[in-house]
Amino acid sequence: MSILMNDSTRVIVQGITGRIGSAQTHWMLEYGTKVVGGVTPGKGGSTVEGLPVFNSVDEAVKETGANASVFFVPAAFVLDAFMETIDAGIDLLVIVPEHIPVRDVIKMRSYALEKGVFALGPTTPGILVPGMGKMGIMPASMFAPGRVGVISRSGTLSYEFAGILSENNVGQSTVVGMGADPVVLRNLTDILELFENDGETDGVIIVGEVGGEQEEKAAGFISRRMNKPVAVYIAGKYSPQGKKMGHAGAIVRGTSGTVEGKQETLKEAGATILNTPIDVAEWAKKNKLK
Amino acid sequence: MRLHEYEALDIFEKNGIPVPRRGIASTTHEALHIAGEIGYPVMVKAQVLVGGRGLAGGIKSASTPEELKDAAEQLLSSDIKGLPVLKLLICEKVEVSQELYLGITIDGYSGEPVVVASTQGGVLIEETARKFPEKIASAHIDSTFRFYPYQARSMLRMLGIDQKLITNWTDVVMQLYDIMMQYEGLICEINPLVVLPNGGLIAVDAVLEVDDSALSRIRLPLPDRIDRIENPIERRGREIGVTYVELDGDIGLISSGAGLGMSSMDIIGEKMKPANFLETGGGITADLLYKCMDLIMMKPGLRAVFINVYGGINPIHEGAKGVVRYIQEHNVKLPVVAKALGNRQEETWEIFKSGGVHVVTEAATEKAIDYLYELVERGQ
Repeated sequence: MSILMNDSTRVIVQGITGRIGSAQTHWMLEYGTKVVGGVTPGKGGSTVEGLPVFNSVDEAVKETGANASVFFVPAAFVLDAFMETIDAGIDLLVIVPEHIPVRDVIKMRSYALEKGVFALGPTTPGILVPGMGKMGIMPASMFAPGRVGVISRSGTLSYEFAGILSENNVGQSTVVGMGADPVVLRNLTDILELFENDGETDGVIIVGEVGGEQEEKAAGFISRRMNKPVAVYIAGKYSPQGKKMGHAGAIVRGTSGTVEGKQETLKEAGATILNTPIDVAEWAKKNKLK
Repeated sequence: MRLHEYEALDIFEKNGIPVPRRGIASTTHEALHIAGEIGYPVMVKAQVLVGGRGLAGGIKSASTPEELKDAAEQLLSSDIKGLPVLKLLICEKVEVSQELYLGITIDGYSGEPVVVASTQGGVLIEETARKFPEKIASAHIDSTFRFYPYQARSMLRMLGIDQKLITNWTDVVMQLYDIMMQYEGLICEINPLVVLPNGGLIAVDAVLEVDDSALSRIRLPLPDRIDRIENPIERRGREIGVTYVELDGDIGLISSGAGLGMSSMDIIGEKMKPANFLETGGGITADLLYKCMDLIMMKPGLRAVFINVYGGINPIHEGAKGVVRYIQEHNVKLPVVAKALGNRQEETWEIFKSGGVHVVTEAATEKAIDYLYELVERGQ
């Protein structure tokens, strides 16, 4: 039915009392997500959108039975909150904030991997399972239930691809934002593996962009292990070399991280290269995906 | 944020890495004065923040005051990959016995810093890695950020470099590692690291790029980063909190996400040329989009404006109010096309339409760009 989130996912919102945290809690609840509470140190005992707010993750877990957390915490406090959340026993974390120092992300990533916890981000729009729930900021109107998995480095492009698919009557099983930073908490390959093993997903779209080598590194997995059709789009064909294009990870350095390099590697691995987003509709149709 | 070579050399020197005698000049007169003090021959290096500076003609050598005068005059009146040369680094030309490469970067895939060294200095390290993998040695550093001198020594051995260098080499590697840690570097590099005939090592180039997200907690001995942006529109973008990258086309672009912005550039680029890349991030307000409109209109010769925004984290109905207010106050006649989807989209469309903005409601950006192309071709 989906990856990462399912019927038993009970979500807390960290930073729930902030402007963005409270607004996004509203949208998550409206979409039917089982949000069970929130955490803001110092604001325990209050309520947001009718949900209890706790001073610590530990209390929130004990009182609500939460097993997943979505972060709207200021960048400087994310490292601390992240460690607290893992130590409280939560095993799915979605880190929405951007501008977290890379050194902090390295520590977070290492701890999450060591503890066997699945964490996404930073700089991710989160996860959305159409018709079931969402953790993060994805706008619900773009999505429709179906059998195509979407993984995106960019938030807005994940909406764009889901929107094009939905308009063409192709639904999505799960849409995952992997994050747009130079170091992310889970690599593309790990998310691909979840989709390959998911009985309710028939094909996967990777929405990549210039910079880094996530897409190149996924090529080996695609050629050796994936049986489901994979389509890839890489944004940034006209991005000038050496310029950081909004995302901290989207930068072409010398000859590495280019659109051509990524396309070539993935094509050799057997993926279909989409030259422009709208081509995804044709790919889905050809592969009889819906 | 990437530092200029002369700024990075100062930091390297402060941390104990041997660097050439040098000075920074913004006129030919100053260049001659510096060279007179350090003695000929000298290297003349344009201080511009682009890769491949040497291949683009930004590095020259001069053996006499006449040669230096020619080189300095020529460089100071030139552009390197579109950037004007405002400063020259004049430095001592050292005698080279061997050129090495030494760099520390963050390996995004393993999520670890990695120290890379090569006996093939002075060229692009990516190419060496591809063509001569045996000339590269690397050491990964785990998430506790511990790196020991034995790892540096072992790299020397792996590369088959003369073991007489062992002390100097280990010192430089450990000093560079300290700089990487102290300044939260993303890239910290010496290329080339020169072996002198007497067995000494000297860093004749210095690259340091620090993590923008860590600027508030590292102490850089440098001016405010906003003052460092040379393009005035890009500087203004940073002031209002958006990413602006100047391009050479004539279609203005505002997007609410980096991926969407890059993709919009790519789609515009198929038939027209984008004038800029402007990405708002997640902080849209009416005031911010008013300022974004003002920003992109600073560039002369625009033929149209394309706004591509999603209401996920952003209140796009607020953004629309700012755009419309700008259009009305400044009597904008250019075609403005908006694709705005997500939370509160219907409300957003009504606001845009009230200001004469062309609204496209389909998800595919290609359709919005086709529409904009027609408007531009019709001269509307």
